[in-house]
Amino acid sequence: MLFPTIEFGIFFLVVFAASWAVRGMPEVRKLFLLGASYFFYGWWDWRFLGLLFLSTLINYLAGLALEKTERVGLRKFVVGVAVVAGLSILGFFKYYGFFLASLSVLLESAGLSRDLPFMQVILPVGISFFTFQGISYVVDVYRGHVKAERSLTNVMLYISFFPQLVAGPIVRAADFLPQLHHPVRLTRAHIGVGVVLILSGLLKKMFVANYLATELVDPVFFDPTAVGALDLLIGIYGYAIQIYCDFSGYSDIAIGVAALLGYRFLENFDQPYRASSLQDFWRRWHISLSTWLRDYLYVPLGGNRHGEVKTYRNLFLTMFLGGIWHGAAWTFVFWGAFHGSMLAVERYARRQIEFFAPAETAPGGLMTALGNGAQHLVGVVWTFHLVCFAWIFFRADSFATAGSYLAGLVRWGEASQYVTPFLVWLIFIAMIFQFTPRHLGRWLAKGVQHLPSPLLGLLLGGGIWLIWAIAPEGVAPFIYFQF
Amino acid sequence: MLDLLHKIEREISGDPEEVSEAERLAALESRRSFLRMLQALALVVVLLLFFSSERLVRWVNGFEVGPVQDAIVSVSTDWHSLMADAGFTAAAETVRAELDELHGADWSELRRRIERERARTRDGVRLLRGAVPDAKS
Repeated sequence: MLFPTIEFGIFFLVVFAASWAVRGMPEVRKLFLLGASYFFYGWWDWRFLGLLFLSTLINYLAGLALEKTERVGLRKFVVGVAVVAGLSILGFFKYYGFFLASLSVLLESAGLSRDLPFMQVILPVGISFFTFQGISYVVDVYRGHVKAERSLTNVMLYISFFPQLVAGPIVRAADFLPQLHHPVRLTRAHIGVGVVLILSGLLKKMFVANYLATELVDPVFFDPTAVGALDLLIGIYGYAIQIYCDFSGYSDIAIGVAALLGYRFLENFDQPYRASSLQDFWRRWHISLSTWLRDYLYVPLGGNRHGEVKTYRNLFLTMFLGGIWHGAAWTFVFWGAFHGSMLAVERYARRQIEFFAPAETAPGGLMTALGNGAQHLVGVVWTFHLVCFAWIFFRADSFATAGSYLAGLVRWGEASQYVTPFLVWLIFIAMIFQFTPRHLGRWLAKGVQHLPSPLLGLLLGGGIWLIWAIAPEGVAPFIYFQF
Repeated sequence: MLDLLHKIEREISGDPEEVSEAERLAALESRRSFLRMLQALALVVVLLLFFSSERLVRWVNGFEVGPVQDAIVSVSTDWHSLMADAGFTAAAETVRAELDELHGADWSELRRRIERERARTRDGVRLLRGAVPDAKS
């Protein structure tokens, strides 16, 4: 059940009306939302409902065990078992085939061909997301950031709550569980935020991402040798916008739907292509994953507390594992390793610049301001192109395709086949929205929240009508569903 | 934007009496907001049924074959014909046609359009100069 479909619209209408109708009975409401979430997940593939429940049960029991014991060693053992169990489930479903295929190639190259136990393993949708949420719960209980939940319903709802279940944002236990202990509220602000985010998410996904995917990105990545440099260059800019609109569109709708049900998720994207460094980019892109990796991987590895060399190592390892999290393919591994390496290089370069040319503390004149502005602009352009370079490997189905793509970027003699004024306009407009005032959405939400219901209905209905009218036929699945 | 929601959560904390009063007001506000949103959603459904009936037909055509499904397809198709005859679907068709024109334009078409716009601007400027006498002369 994809968000931008009539099925989901009907599902949401029923859930919205029924869940608020029983708001006076919080436990019934939670059970209803839990049932709706399991229904939503079962709609994809009911066979994995048991897996979702098993993953939740492991984390729930680990939480209870952590609360019952004070012994440090035992607590570490419990959290270790829960994390290993979660990662084993993820590892089996997501990486089993990849591991065996890589092992087979390795053995063949060493002249030791063997019959390996290959299996057709279906990847359960959203497994990476709900596994990470489960780990977040256990580790937060272990660290004392959140109390262990006695209610299984609460833990189940936290892990399976349908707006974030299949493609995030990765909601933290410490952010969401306390909300289940307070009376749920629906205010004008919830409505304003919900309506603005749902409309912006639909526009990003159904209009921008779908057009760019079908008319530019898919054809140029299908066979990069068949097109010229202009198509390839605009194709990668197009993919940068497509993946942003696709994923942030999904996040917007998820956060908006949660807001209309009275819950608050944290922001997942913050105009990432205006970042002036890779570090800045990772503070703006998939924020729920980057902060998860920071808190549950980078910090436990030692973060920046054990000297420069270990900091570089930790940066590299965190992003390397972040790359593997995205998918079972060497191209994702390269993507993560590239980001990790460049973050380390960036940190090193910044340290050297600070050492040799410390920033002036005195207020500068016009020339200093112009210099800083130019420096910032260069940083934005450089970061965007680094990110685009890495996207080639993220999108390509193999290193061979990525290599052909990069090699084709010097073929400037060939005429363009796919770059049209419409697609360039789409990319240009989407890029402009990366540089609009940061609080544009807030202002819009504040405007919408005071509209009377007929105007609110006209706005939402008119918005959906317009998006349906201008969007291409069909709804492609969201890119992040595969992760 | 999401700080708007965080602010609301912070409001319900403090003196127990104030909290219970705040909770009572919050419950009242939730009820009002729910009704307001429900009315808005009902209007959305009506608007889409009238102005986007083509989407409805496309959706039901994806159903599996069966007596109930066939009946739904038939009713939806009739409904769409009714809406089309009444002119409700014309707006979407107009928007779609405008977009298709923009979508189908190639670079030479764009150049021609720019040239046309430039010529129109030049004509406009000439007309304006002729129609509005220079104040200095």
